[in-house]
Amino acid sequence: MVEIKNLTKYYGRKAAVKNISFNIEDNEILGFLGPNGAGKSTTLNIICGVIPSTSGTVTINGYDIENDPVKAKKCIGFLPEIPPVYTDMKVGEYLMFVAGLRGVPGAKRRSHVERVMNRMNISDVSKRLIGNLSKGYRQRVGFAQALIGDPKIIILDEPTVGLDPSQLIEVRNLILELKRDHSVILSSHILSEISAVCDRVVIINHGEIQAIDTIANLEDSSQSNIVLKLKVQGSSREVAKTAMHVDGVVRVSNITFVKTGVYTYDVEVKDKNVRNSLLSALLYNKLDVLEVSEERKSLEQIFVNLVNQPEGKRKSLKELVDEMENEADQQAEDASSGAETEAADENKEV
Amino acid sequence: MFSLYKKELQGYFFSPIAYVFIGLVMLIFSGFFVWWIFTATSSQVEFQFSYFFYYNILLTTILLIPILTMRAFAEERKNGTEVLLLASPLSVSKIVLAKFLAVATVLVIAMIVSFIYPVVASIYGYVVIPNLIASYVGYLLYGLAYIALGLMVSSFVATPGLAMLLSVAASLVLFFMELMLGSSFLASLPVFSDVLYWFSNQAKFENFTQGFCQLSDLVSYVTEIIVFLLWTIISIEKRRFSHS
Repeated sequence: MVEIKNLTKYYGRKAAVKNISFNIEDNEILGFLGPNGAGKSTTLNIICGVIPSTSGTVTINGYDIENDPVKAKKCIGFLPEIPPVYTDMKVGEYLMFVAGLRGVPGAKRRSHVERVMNRMNISDVSKRLIGNLSKGYRQRVGFAQALIGDPKIIILDEPTVGLDPSQLIEVRNLILELKRDHSVILSSHILSEISAVCDRVVIINHGEIQAIDTIANLEDSSQSNIVLKLKVQGSSREVAKTAMHVDGVVRVSNITFVKTGVYTYDVEVKDKNVRNSLLSALLYNKLDVLEVSEERKSLEQIFVNLVNQPEGKRKSLKELVDEMENEADQQAEDASSGAETEAADENKEV
Repeated sequence: MFSLYKKELQGYFFSPIAYVFIGLVMLIFSGFFVWWIFTATSSQVEFQFSYFFYYNILLTTILLIPILTMRAFAEERKNGTEVLLLASPLSVSKIVLAKFLAVATVLVIAMIVSFIYPVVASIYGYVVIPNLIASYVGYLLYGLAYIALGLMVSSFVATPGLAMLLSVAASLVLFFMELMLGSSFLASLPVFSDVLYWFSNQAKFENFTQGFCQLSDLVSYVTEIIVFLLWTIISIEKRRFSHS
């Protein structure tokens, strides 16, 4: 378990990290999310004891990283942004060196390194120079390095940068597998990566924590209403009217013309059960429903809004979600008034 | 710490660097050795290694030791592997010490190889053993001081090439310091020239080549080595604080 309390780091006068506190429980994957330059790497480097903090404490399995660095560092496996590999060493040789560095007893070293190489699927390149390996393999060697010595806590700083899609999936599965007997901190600026594997997310920007929550909670908080995307054949005016009469429909917005008589609509409903009554109401009125899909207000949007706030006027997650909804309301009104005039035009034509 | 020492040493011997270093040391030794024999005036030469050592040690230390030390920290920093060492359970002082010992080992190996000259000389002539031993002790200490200097310079910069140039420059400054003492200008400032003389490495080395192992010289070399190594540790620690 890792405990981070009131962590602050100044580079000269510039604060890279301001008063950050959070915990990592055992067997948990914690996502560390933020744009480039948000202070992710700085925080991770402090946790690993690579750089000291200006103030605040980091406790790893009960050992303070400043006061008890040797014991604390033995509990951590760290994969920095750039894999720390010596290009003039062979893979096996390099991992043996890391095992020695981490204090793996000499007698067990070889078998331990072989186990890690098998796990990372790099046994076949163990006799090759790291400098001659492709980026994906190099990343895997870096990964293997972090697993040497079976540390309880594994810290990965942007582990998927530069990997191809199949390697990406491989790394994801590996991280999920690590969860069984390790705690993992995973930093990234790519949200889908985090939401695919993490239990909890810490969103950080300008050195400050913007949100700490589970993925599900974050999505819920951003999603009081569900948006159904409909494609219906028939007069847009009639569709909007019918839909609005159904109980639980909040608004109909974003009506766009597809071809004559066919429009798409964004219908915001209170919960999923409204969908069936909405569809039956439309069908009852002889309106042909061509397509229905559910759109989730994406976490991505929340994240982008969170991190793109101008400094000094930062708001909490809750305020932001409210604001986004208000904006959506405004758009809906504009759109529906636009659609009505359009529909009127169409009626004239008929 | 031993595994880092071993890795560093392997790094020198699995790449051409150590062989180039030892080869060049031998080349310089051989050159002077041959020149020594050519200028001999009688068949029974007394090999007092003092003069012989005096010239080639300057060349080896000033031009060749930076080849060994330039990569030590600069390359780690350039390739991002420094993080691996800093995140490992090793303390910074142990990292510096391991690297220092690895370079020192290469120097010792070069010295052992160079033993061939006294052996050959003793077959055909007469070798003054106490002088020889003292010379080698002095040679080792003098070399270690410049290794520590090279490591220190390497920890200041992020490119091995720059580390090499700066190490050579720093070594030359230390070297010329003593030559400057002979100038009439500095001789006119007795206190200043005295202070410079205390810090002169060549003067101490000269004592060793005469066969004197003085405690004051030993202490001063060891102090110099410790100062440079401490400075290296401080420079790395300082960068941890100020730089990401």
